[in-house]
Amino acid sequence: MRVTKAVITAAGRSQRTLPLQRMVDRDGTPKSVLWIVVEEALKAGADEICVVVCPGDAAPFAEAAGEHAGRLRFVEQPSPGGYGHALACARDFVGDAPFLHLVGDHLWLSHSGRGCAEQLVAVAVAESCAVSAVQPSRESLLPSFGVVGGRRLPGRQDLYLVETVREKPTPTEAEQHLAVPGLRAGHYLCFFGMHVLTPGVMEVLGRMLRDAANPAEVTLSSALDELAARERILALANLGTRHDVGGKYGVLTAQLALALGGVDRDEVLVSMIELLAMK
Amino acid sequence: MSTLTEIITAADAETRDRSLDAFCRGASLDELLAECAALERLRRTSDNLYERVRALFFLYAIHRFHLLDAPGVRPVGHVPYEGYAHLLSRRFEEAIQVFQAAQADGPSAALCSALAAAYHRLAFQTLADQVRRSVRSVRGNQWMFRVGHPADHPLRVRRELLPGGDAPALVLRESTPVRMDLTHSAWSDIFFLGMDFPEGARVLNVSIDLGVRGRDPAPRPPVEASLRVIDEPVLRLTSVDLGASADITDLAEVFDFARDHLGLLKAAVIASGIVPPGIEGSGAALGDLLARLTAPGHGIELVSAVHGIPKGSRLAVSTNLLASLIAVCMRATGQARALTGPLDEGERRLAAARAILGEWLAGSGGGWQDSGGVWPGMKLIRGEEAQAGDPEWGVSRGRLLPSHRILGEDAVSPATRAALQASLVLVHGGMAQNVGPILEMVTEKYLLRSEAEWAGRRQAIGVLDEVLAALRDGDIRRIGALTTANFFGPLQTIIPWASTRYTEALIEAVRAEFGDDFWGFWMLGGMSGGGMGFIFAPGRRAEAQSRLQAIMAATKAGLEHALPFAMEPVVYDFAINERGTVADLLSGEMALMPPGYYALTVPGLLRQDPRALTAARRAELDRFAAACRTMPELSGMVQTLFDRLLPRAGLSDDGQAHLGALLAEHGFDRAQHEQIRADMRSGRIGLLQNRLPSTTRIRDVEPGDVADAAALGAEHRRLGARALAAGEVAVVSLAGGAGSRWTQGAGVVKALHPFARLAGRHRSFVEAHLAKSRRSGREHGAWLPHIFTTSYLTHGPLSAALAAQADAEGRPYGYAGPLLLSPGRAVGLRLIPMARDLRFAWEETPQQVLDEQAQKVRESLHAALIGWARGAGEGGDYTGNAPLQCLHPVGHWFELPNMLRNGALARLLAERPQLTYLMAHNIDTLGATVDPAILGLHIARGDALTFEVIARHLDDRGGGLARVDGQLRLLEGLAMPREQAEFDLSYYNTLTCWVDIDRLLAAFGLTRDELADDARVADAVRALAARIPTYMTLKDVKKRWGHGQEDIFPVAQWEKLWGDMTALPDLACGFVAVPRLRGQQLKDQAQLDGWLRDGSAAYVEALCDLT
Repeated sequence: MRVTKAVITAAGRSQRTLPLQRMVDRDGTPKSVLWIVVEEALKAGADEICVVVCPGDAAPFAEAAGEHAGRLRFVEQPSPGGYGHALACARDFVGDAPFLHLVGDHLWLSHSGRGCAEQLVAVAVAESCAVSAVQPSRESLLPSFGVVGGRRLPGRQDLYLVETVREKPTPTEAEQHLAVPGLRAGHYLCFFGMHVLTPGVMEVLGRMLRDAANPAEVTLSSALDELAARERILALANLGTRHDVGGKYGVLTAQLALALGGVDRDEVLVSMIELLAMK
Repeated sequence: MSTLTEIITAADAETRDRSLDAFCRGASLDELLAECAALERLRRTSDNLYERVRALFFLYAIHRFHLLDAPGVRPVGHVPYEGYAHLLSRRFEEAIQVFQAAQADGPSAALCSALAAAYHRLAFQTLADQVRRSVRSVRGNQWMFRVGHPADHPLRVRRELLPGGDAPALVLRESTPVRMDLTHSAWSDIFFLGMDFPEGARVLNVSIDLGVRGRDPAPRPPVEASLRVIDEPVLRLTSVDLGASADITDLAEVFDFARDHLGLLKAAVIASGIVPPGIEGSGAALGDLLARLTAPGHGIELVSAVHGIPKGSRLAVSTNLLASLIAVCMRATGQARALTGPLDEGERRLAAARAILGEWLAGSGGGWQDSGGVWPGMKLIRGEEAQAGDPEWGVSRGRLLPSHRILGEDAVSPATRAALQASLVLVHGGMAQNVGPILEMVTEKYLLRSEAEWAGRRQAIGVLDEVLAALRDGDIRRIGALTTANFFGPLQTIIPWASTRYTEALIEAVRAEFGDDFWGFWMLGGMSGGGMGFIFAPGRRAEAQSRLQAIMAATKAGLEHALPFAMEPVVYDFAINERGTVADLLSGEMALMPPGYYALTVPGLLRQDPRALTAARRAELDRFAAACRTMPELSGMVQTLFDRLLPRAGLSDDGQAHLGALLAEHGFDRAQHEQIRADMRSGRIGLLQNRLPSTTRIRDVEPGDVADAAALGAEHRRLGARALAAGEVAVVSLAGGAGSRWTQGAGVVKALHPFARLAGRHRSFVEAHLAKSRRSGREHGAWLPHIFTTSYLTHGPLSAALAAQADAEGRPYGYAGPLLLSPGRAVGLRLIPMARDLRFAWEETPQQVLDEQAQKVRESLHAALIGWARGAGEGGDYTGNAPLQCLHPVGHWFELPNMLRNGALARLLAERPQLTYLMAHNIDTLGATVDPAILGLHIARGDALTFEVIARHLDDRGGGLARVDGQLRLLEGLAMPREQAEFDLSYYNTLTCWVDIDRLLAAFGLTRDELADDARVADAVRALAARIPTYMTLKDVKKRWGHGQEDIFPVAQWEKLWGDMTALPDLACGFVAVPRLRGQQLKDQAQLDGWLRDGSAAYVEALCDLT
């Protein structure tokens, strides 16, 4: 398996400006969120990148991508149709190839020198199957994420075989169907906002969207749940930390995480201490 | 290995099911003690829950039924107070250690009774703990115990229900049937039983819609729960059926179950995870929690409605209402996939598991089939063996939750279902009883594998298979025969108390009237008398419905003073519900709560300034007003609202007048009442003031203080027999009391309660006592005069009952001797208690601590009742109840003096001048007889009074025989300066008292001749009464309301007690120790089973002549 394509979804109507948000990256350079996400994909080896946007957003997004604008292909989601539909809009771009999928409102910080997406792609290539990045999360976060149920692969600390996937499950459903042996009580494998997917997911999404009474209810989770029954899907945990820029104080915490993990760490720390010392 | 250990740990069922009693009958004392030591080791070392529990039950039963009166066990002994205090605090292990240490000197009956109680309670505690652990560990419930802060709350109300724009909030409405058990499962749905014997835990459970015949147009799902999001940050709970509503803004109040009548709704809110149990006590703000669930500034409203189905229907109405409330909350928060329509199987199971959790939280409990209404149609519910991965695996043989197999048309055809509905008449007989003790008895008998009961259980298991076969064959008549055989056979073998005289009278009347067209009787639930089924030939069902209503009313009228009825009997219309619980969504103009909700809430809203109402409330009132004009179910609502808006008097004028007349009729002394009120309010009298000074020296009896009845010789017997033959003796049965503990303040006449079967029939206390007098009379050749003392509460019913039982010669129960009633001459008016007395009773005197959650509920109830006393006015007259429930008897001291005042004794003496002695006894001392030897002792000693005492056991609380500052006398428990003092006393007062009439009259300063002088007698009684202490006491009184609902209030009353006569220095009193079988009293119906099993019933039966 070779992964050379990436799809970034950034068509959420209520959060369409988030990818344009200016941040200061770890190297001290001001960049938009989209720019940073694109660099994550590039670092993972993608050389063709598709961004799914709202109609009319291509131009500002291209501008926000800075020096990488030329490498991006924009696909518009013609009308609000939910997450699954947005991803399915990239079906022609993906064709028959596996692809890296990143959500446009998250930023990731790796625990190692290698990027999170880079590590994810490496595992997908090695295992030759779809892999979703996940993060063990407390159950209070269940209303915000897709969640994976499965079991740990023998001899692998952070790799799981996916058996069930649910979108924003209740804790009741999670406890009944998504408990993963080896995790702390009340913790579940929540999506990390990045996946390496096979073209099969596009096929499932397409069929689900055709059959659904309400296409907005079709999610990547529901497609992966179905796909897990017929092809091997893995989940890779503990790549680093994820930051949802769209959450309450999401921009602030994402920026702090970038700054404290980068070249301006001391400067930001001093500012924080000064703030803390003030009444 | 010991034999009993082998029985408990055996892998093969044949050994495991061997009976304990069979082994113990042939065992010596040493063998029994050795087995106890082995069982003690087993229970301490075994990892298996049921081995431990069964060992505990064996230990209990050996001590209670086999060691207590075994040869070699000392009959008299002491229970260490330290151990008793541990028992009260539920420190059972510590209590057992203390009792065992005391037993090192050799076993005594007192210690055996204490150890039996400790083992019994520890066994049930162990079982309850396991059920609780299992409920918490059900997958889908665990997370609720982890949430400790609003920010951690992982639930959200579904978007569809959140307010949007000007549209009214959607109302999510859950409609749920109730369930009936079509075979009566021999209580096999008790959790403990299903978890140990899953293969024997099977029930045939049918979901039904109900209507009350003559009131409702058609059957419908009887319970309904509605939920909506509101634009106020409160949790608004309303119980339409109980007429209660509250806006809750404080998290702690959600966990305060007994504060009001909203406990069930609170339990549902918690068990569904809306307010997760883990957040209790966190100090979090309820508003923050609701904002996280809904949106800032918003809250949730939950409404329950039961469509007029009376309490105690044995159809699990409250459990299904709880499940309905939980289901609607689960749907609203996305915990059920579908917002409307039925639930899927996993969701139904979760709702059932959470209903169990909710019942535990609210301090109640039912069986595992009770939430069967959540499922559709007819289903077979079975216990399941625990498998690897289950929380129960390795702990118990069975799972907590059973499996449900819905019976399809192949198992029960539509025609059979229709035929069943065309034959069965469902009724509520009107009795509402506490079935808790029965469920404990069932558990105990199962674990002991008592031979007859175990055979009965196996037989009942077979009945279910036969009913299934009859259903398959469409043979309804056969079902009737099977359920009848089940009721009269195995069910009563296991629990004789499942039947009542009322039930059997109904069956007899129906059988007499319908003959072969009456196909069978069928008991619903824990016991009969409430919900019941009668099966008829289809052609006569309609007639049977009408006639049953009349038969039940007439039978109830004949027994309503003898048995606790909570309501008038009703006949139901019913239909099998094939959908189970379903939800629908009400929107637009239809987005309304149940009609009763508006009858309850609109008057309050109308009294408010309209500008103070939220926009949503104003809009809702507009919708409601419009609906009143167009919706037929709201017709009559305007009149209802008008009635509610006008202020209403608390007690009707008729009621007040009736109370006043009763007081006047029964000699109420207003001046004395006002004095007592003033003394109570000022603190001169009260619970604390009942006690003797703390400096009082209380010592046990000394050798020679008490005669031993067992040691009395032929001379005493001859002396007594001669007096009996000469007609010198009469019996006085004290029957003025209401038996507060017997029916928890229901106000029935205990003397008339047909409490048990003796010689094949239910007999009342009155009948049993007369039967003993008949036997004595026949044996000694002279009929004993028998006097029943009565009170305002008991006189009318007793006279009517005796008249109703008169034979052709006008002799009640065919009793040939003189039979008199001695009516009471004093009555008190109950008072609202002082808060300090309530606190003293509940907080400062040792109390039995309940299981964790039940204790919390009780403390909450106590706080509410103290609030009630303050709000209603401490020391005020208690008049907010039925008039008879507002009066109180003034203690048994007055019962014998009443015979002086009302002329009963004078008349008797005129007829029988030779009459010299009375034997007075409590109505519940069933073993009391005119024993010639004891009578002979009394005559020989020449005392004015001879009191019978028994060796004290653990439960014998309330005083005893003591040397008080050196004087030998009976000391009431109320007067004990310290609780511990009672535990040093060897003997307990039976209240059976032999009286020398002339010496007693002398104590009053009277002679036989002066009895004709009413004024002289009244003065004499008043003068002696003044020398007897007055005790203030608290009694529980039931207040009935609504559809069979009952509230219990503590009220203050005063009393004087006969035992205090022994404190009079100028009255010669003697004391004689009698066997327990003779002296024990039946105070609580929960005692009945032990009374039957330990030989007491047979002993009493042998004393009686019931021909």
